[in-house]
Amino acid sequence: MAEEAQNLEKKRIPMIQVKNLYKIYRVGDTKVHALDGVDFTIYKGEFCAIVGPSGSGKSTLLNMLAGLEKPTKGEIVIDRVHIEHMTENQLVGFRRERVGFIFQSYNLLKTLNAVENVALPLSFRGVPKKKRNAVAKKYLKLVGLEKQQDHMANAMSGGQQQRVGIARALAVNPKIIFADEPTGNLDSKTTMDILRLMQKIVREQNQTLIMVTHDNYLASFADRQFHIVDGKITKIEELHHGEYGAKQEEDR
Amino acid sequence: MIRTMRFLDLLAMSVNNLRRRKLRTALTVLGVVIGVASVVVMVSLGLGLNGLMLDMYASYGSMTAITVYSNGFYDASGSGTEPQYLTDEVVDQFERLGHVTSVSPVLSTNVILKQGAYEASCSVRGVSREYMEQIPLGEGSLPEPGSDELQFIYGNNVITWFSNGRRGSSYGDTGELPDVDYMNRPMFVIFDTNAYYSSQYPSADGEQSKPPKKYLIPTAGVVEGTVDDYNNYSYSVYADIELLKTQLKLIYKKDPIPGQPTNQKGKPYPYFIYNSVMVFVDDMDNVTTVQKQISDMGFQASSQMEWIEQSQQTYDIIQLVLGGIGAVSLFVAAIGIANTMMMSIYERTKEIGIIKVLGCDLGTIRNMFLLESGFIGFMGGVMGLVISYIISFVMNNFLGIGQVLMGVAGDISRIPLWLSAAAVVFAIFVGMAAGFFPSLRAMHLSALSAIRNE
Repeated sequence: MAEEAQNLEKKRIPMIQVKNLYKIYRVGDTKVHALDGVDFTIYKGEFCAIVGPSGSGKSTLLNMLAGLEKPTKGEIVIDRVHIEHMTENQLVGFRRERVGFIFQSYNLLKTLNAVENVALPLSFRGVPKKKRNAVAKKYLKLVGLEKQQDHMANAMSGGQQQRVGIARALAVNPKIIFADEPTGNLDSKTTMDILRLMQKIVREQNQTLIMVTHDNYLASFADRQFHIVDGKITKIEELHHGEYGAKQEEDR
Repeated sequence: MIRTMRFLDLLAMSVNNLRRRKLRTALTVLGVVIGVASVVVMVSLGLGLNGLMLDMYASYGSMTAITVYSNGFYDASGSGTEPQYLTDEVVDQFERLGHVTSVSPVLSTNVILKQGAYEASCSVRGVSREYMEQIPLGEGSLPEPGSDELQFIYGNNVITWFSNGRRGSSYGDTGELPDVDYMNRPMFVIFDTNAYYSSQYPSADGEQSKPPKKYLIPTAGVVEGTVDDYNNYSYSVYADIELLKTQLKLIYKKDPIPGQPTNQKGKPYPYFIYNSVMVFVDDMDNVTTVQKQISDMGFQASSQMEWIEQSQQTYDIIQLVLGGIGAVSLFVAAIGIANTMMMSIYERTKEIGIIKVLGCDLGTIRNMFLLESGFIGFMGGVMGLVISYIISFVMNNFLGIGQVLMGVAGDISRIPLWLSAAAVVFAIFVGMAAGFFPSLRAMHLSALSAIRNE
């Protein structure tokens, strides 16, 4: 069984490698270790959850993986590229080419409609309007918002906005999608819808998704869970739910 | 591979952002409109004043002409050295100077004009063809080139010199215009004025000399303007210099021609000596240089440039002061733009953070804000220009300021094409300059703190 898992691991392509990662904030005279020596590897096509209570350093970890914060020490290799020493503009370029983002508060541009919001990151890549709108419509259809594609962002419900957010993250065909508490502002029914949608899409598109959450139950939708407490990974849980995902949820 | 946002998408985004805040954009643009209009109107007034000044000088004669006199022409005392006369040789020398387009010798000779009961004594100026071509004619036309018939062109004020021989009344006494018609009635010309006077007024010994021959000289044309208008050509009679020389030689034969200097032995020179020479220069800017060269050759040279340069210095200062007054309001407008952009960035902090996280290039963010402020400048510039044209039109056509200020009819406010273009370009530049620091600020906003959940 262990051998089998190792064989499986060999075949898989590492997407994110984190080695000995530290983030130390200086607050007055005291040093706060937000991340205290973190090591892990995430493979292509995985749906991983980073779980921990607030203040555990999970958001810091996500921000560093996305190049929004610089680590104090350690290595982050994403898609075989070291990002820890990149300049701000290189990091922006890295995100533009490789990363999709799903936010807790959706962060859609209120002045744009659904299609324009989804097409926005493509416009940063210089994709012509016609082409990027076609792509945007395709992904809006995928998240089930065909009918709302011309609605303005602030005229939609939270669940709809988050679907637009997911479509926006997918539209750039990223190597990795980061989701920071993607269901934090949603009611429980919508939360389930969104999570199942994310799960389904990750499977179908063979995307790598990293989700940060404080909720163990939500984390159980992921293939692997990284439990993080006080800046250290305390436990990595692997769950092979596959089609049982829905069953487990009903059991609860 | 670097892929960045297309310019058109960027422009659309910037314009959309401006449209979101219509009133604020409109107010900021209004500031630029006032700024640009005041600069353009002020500069146009400066240009207008300068132009009116040049018009005024132009009416006194060609601005690119230098009049050259010989130092020795009127110096009959014979101080020992041979005076430096203006001869054909000198004319050739002048022609070879740089920037000189043409040179016309001027040969003056006194004549008596007679028509009916009227007669006038005046001087005929023999000039070159190029010179004659500059004379604005009101009636008639220049003689055919190559024609060998001597023809006269009369200044529009020459008529005032005619007096009625029988009644002895002149225009100056009666204010009544003499009944002289250059074009339709024959004009008789007496070249040998000395002989004429001695025939009119017999000398004490009672010997009356034979009156000199009268010549019928056809009129080619009359200088434009009424008797009340004045220009550089108003008081002279012009003729082709070569034909005039031929005529004089014909009349005087071997005798000395009156007005021509003699050498130290009292003999006339075998060639003509000109009273003055007009040197025409290609451009106003070169007049001073050429004039200096001619003075260095030992001649007296004068041109209108000396006066124009002095006036121009005064007008340059006026221009600067006027432009400065306008620039103050444009500066205030620039502060307005900077303020608007800062406000806009504060409002859009979150938005900027989002697009940064989504991978919008830092340069693109900066350019987006620069474009916005540049666009404010552009709109203000264009509208300001339109308003400037309206103000300029009103000043030129309804107020008659030019007449009051300079006594010359003409446009007091002039907006040349370069000023329009410069105004718009400058407005865009001011907009971008005002938006520069705000745009840097937008670029360096922390994406993380901008998207942090509130």
